[in-house]
Order: sequence, then structure tokens, then C-alpha cells
Amino acid sequence: MKPTPSDQNKAVSARRSFLQRLGLLGAATAVAPALLPAISRAKVTALKGVSDEQRWGLMIDTSKCATGCDACVRGCHDEHGISSTGNEHTDAQWIRKIDLQDNLTGQESSLPMMCQHCDSAPCVDVCPTGASFKRADGVVLVNKHTCIGCRYCMMACPYKARSFIHEPVTDQKSLAPRGQGTVESCTLCVHRIDADDDLQPACAVSCTEEGHSAILFGDLNDSESDISIAIAKHDAQQVRSDLNLNTGVRYAKL
Amino acid sequence: MSFGSSSRTVQGVLLLIGLILGWSSMAGEPGPVIPKGKGEQCVAETDFMRRNHMDLIVHQRDDTVIRGIRDEPFSLVECVDCHVQLDEDNQAVRIDEEGQFCASCHAYVAVKIDCFGCHAAVPDPVVPDPVVPDVAQQDSVDGSHWLPNKQLLAFKQTLPTAVPPALSHHKNEADTVRSE
Repeated sequence: MKPTPSDQNKAVSARRSFLQRLGLLGAATAVAPALLPAISRAKVTALKGVSDEQRWGLMIDTSKCATGCDACVRGCHDEHGISSTGNEHTDAQWIRKIDLQDNLTGQESSLPMMCQHCDSAPCVDVCPTGASFKRADGVVLVNKHTCIGCRYCMMACPYKARSFIHEPVTDQKSLAPRGQGTVESCTLCVHRIDADDDLQPACAVSCTEEGHSAILFGDLNDSESDISIAIAKHDAQQVRSDLNLNTGVRYAKL
Repeated sequence: MSFGSSSRTVQGVLLLIGLILGWSSMAGEPGPVIPKGKGEQCVAETDFMRRNHMDLIVHQRDDTVIRGIRDEPFSLVECVDCHVQLDEDNQAVRIDEEGQFCASCHAYVAVKIDCFGCHAAVPDPVVPDPVVPDVAQQDSVDGSHWLPNKQLLAFKQTLPTAVPPALSHHKNEADTVRSE
């Protein structure tokens, strides 16, 4: 059967509208990728969460850190409601003071040691539940909601920075939840730095109040920040730099 | 035979009395007595909070711990701040203690809470003006005097569609942004 002229017209018009629609689809595909990043960026700012634009870190100037001074330790423990359980061996210790002596030269130095907030954190690697994790802004934390208290992370940490809580905890601070059966360590005072960009971790504040100003806090990603400038100036080192962990805590004049 | 019949009647009467007594004791079940919170209103309507507070808490804990989002309209710290009671010495009583806000309901429904193994069960001690609890104003189960939260209502109005506000606020915030 031969197609009538009206059938041919219908076919032409169908083809035309099909091609038009195809053209629209092509245009949409070309425009969509341009819109997507804008949408996802907008979502992130709307939620006001942490982002990888910053990487928070500390620089310790060991020449300013005084032997025998433990202001940073007291400041940290006051901030997070950490008190002795009466059993010294199992007390939580988020930050501790270490005195060093060079056997050859006899030179003495003192420094605070805490979680180094590693970029490639061994504690995060070994955690079986994902409770040990690194936030987008580089802060390494324990999510105590999912921590099962296995203490793998404590064995993996080269800095002995973590503590297991053996006994029930009461009188917690409302912004520093702590409890029996979980592992904890320095949080870089996330509750303070999340609340206000101008707030410093408690250890840095205590050190400054004591008149030493040995602990500098800031954004390692920002090359203009005080901490980045100080690290470059003093060529601040990582402790156990041989492990290539890219630590967030650096030590000057070590 | 007549003895047996009267025995059945007595049994029937006893059963009836038993049923009436049982029913009346059920009807008189008092339910948990929940201490009244501070202020005029909760962060959401009482019925909504009764059903959904656990979802709000679980949903938000990951946002807070992992993503550092600390400016959401709900928080466990604020639950404690508003609902904690003070004893005769003006000292805050743990909110998970018997008869207190969390414990009274949770004991009634036999659901264990482990929030306060880690979280503070009393507000931080620097509370400026502690309010003395008014024993006469004990809240009954209906909680009808709690008005809806103005802040939440304002927030609801910014949402494109009428949905339960708290559970969907993330999604809708993103939707709002997308539609702009």
C-alpha cells in the first residue's frame, strides 16, 4: 500500500518534533553540569557543617614551653570535665607534658603531646566500626555512639594519645560527653572551634594566659594564616615524620 | 441439681465482680507524672515530641559529631536545660533519676535510656538564675498547656510544603536552595 500525502505529512511532523525534543535534551545535558556544582555548594553552606576548605592544626614552639608548667593539661582537663578516678594508671589523659634531654649535648626541652590529628591516621585505619574518623576539616575524633571500646586505635596510635575509660563517668560537661567503655582523645576542642572561628582550643588559651604563648592554633590550608607563616618560618617538624602521617600538630625548634 | 445451679450463680456473680474491679483498676491507671519544663513551650508540639524525640536525637547526633553542624533547632543539652528539676537545696537533679523528666516515661514504658552514660544529665553549673520548681504545676500526661514553638512555626513557614518539620528539614532546606 502506498502512503498517502497526508500520511507523509504526519511522518514529517512527527520526525520534526522528535528532532526538536532531541535538541532540547542535548541543551539540557550541556547546561546541567554547569548547574550541579552550584547546587552542591549551596547545600553545604546551607547546612553550615565543617568543610575541607580549612585544616585545623597546632604549632608548638618548644622554646617557649616551660619545663614543669602544665597549664595546657589543666586547661584541657577543666574544659572537658576530666578528673582523676583515684586510679592514676587508668586516668584519662588527652594531653601530657614530656621533658626531653639530648644525651649528646645535654640540651633539655619540654613539650605537650596530644593527638596529632594525622592526615593518614592509623587509628582511623584500624577502627572496626568506623567510630574513629577524620572530619572534613582534619580533626580526628572518636564517635562514641559507635565506639565499642576494643582499643585497636590505642594500639595503632604511635603517639599514645588515646585513653580508654574504665570506670563510670559522672559530672560531665554538657559540651564534652564522656563515658565508660569508650576511647577518647584530644578533640582539638571542636565544640569551641565550631561555635566561633575566633575561639581557640583550651590548651592554647591556658598557655597564653600563663604567659608562654607556646601553642598556636590555626588553619594549615591558609598560607596567609599565622600558624602557616610560623611553621614556614621555624621549619616546624612532625614528631615521627618517618611515618609519613602528615600530622596536624607541628613542633618548632625541637 | 439446685445446689449446682446456685453454685454457678455465685461463680457468675464473682466473675462479674472480678471484671468490674479489673476494669475500674485499669481505668484508674495514673500513667507517668512528668515534671513541667521551663518556659511556656517546647521546641515542638508535645505530641510530635512524644512520638519523635528519639528520631530527632539519633538523626542529629551524626550531623553534630561527624559533620560539625551545631546550629540545628534541637539539642539534647537544651532538653536537659529546660526539663531539669531542682531539689530543696537548689541543686539540679539528674534528669534520668527516678521520677524525673526522662526517667518517668521511660520507666513507665520500660525502655532503657543510655544517653546519660556519656551526656551530662544536669546543666553545667554556671546556670545564672535557677528557677525553683513549682510542685503545684506538675504536668499530667496530656501536656495541654504546652504551646507550639514560635521559632519552629516560623521555620515551618519557610518550608515549601507542609511536612513534619523536624525530620525533613534537611531535605527541604536543600530543596529550597535548589528551587532558587
